[in-house]
Amino acid sequence: MSEKNSCCCGGEKTLIMACSGGSNVGQISNNVMIELDKAGKGSAYCLAGLGGDLSGFIQSTKSAKTILIDGCPVACARTVFNRHNLKPDKYFVVTEFGVEKNHNFDNLNSETQIVADKIIKKLECC
Amino acid sequence: MKIKILGTGCPKCKNLFNAAQEAVKETNISCEIEKVEDITKIMSYGVMMTPALVVNGEVKSAGKVLSVAEIKKLLV
Repeated sequence: MSEKNSCCCGGEKTLIMACSGGSNVGQISNNVMIELDKAGKGSAYCLAGLGGDLSGFIQSTKSAKTILIDGCPVACARTVFNRHNLKPDKYFVVTEFGVEKNHNFDNLNSETQIVADKIIKKLECC
Repeated sequence: MKIKILGTGCPKCKNLFNAAQEAVKETNISCEIEKVEDITKIMSYGVMMTPALVVNGEVKSAGKVLSVAEIKKLLV
């Protein structure tokens, strides 16, 4: 959490969270979250805080718009949201953008850019 | 009981502090209210939006100015 994004008393904030799991698509979801933050689509935030039932993360997520990115259809991130009766405003799954799930971490950068560009286009048109 | 108001000092944060003071007064409970304006301390709660209300170490709300009535419900 960078200091520039740490506190907001202004309008509604958008929080971006990713499954950040232990596969190529999990790590791509994390990288895409960072790319969306850099593109000004919201602030990267800690899904682990929600998973750990930490009250500050739960209350902040309840008060914000949310973009949630899962790596694959197992949908761990979405399941964490469900546990807290939360529904993301926008939801994406990396494998739905044509990336096959595996444990090869060699092409993360190029695949991240392709997925991030597609998600940014979707966010801008909807 | 201990209440903390997390916020960097904007009017919304002050309004929540005032509402918390009034809620404590109306419920007549023994309670310490503390303002936390240090951004590092605020971040340590995982809070992304201020003002936030913390009761006995648990964040009860973030990014909202709760009413006196809403705060009273959290205290009793």
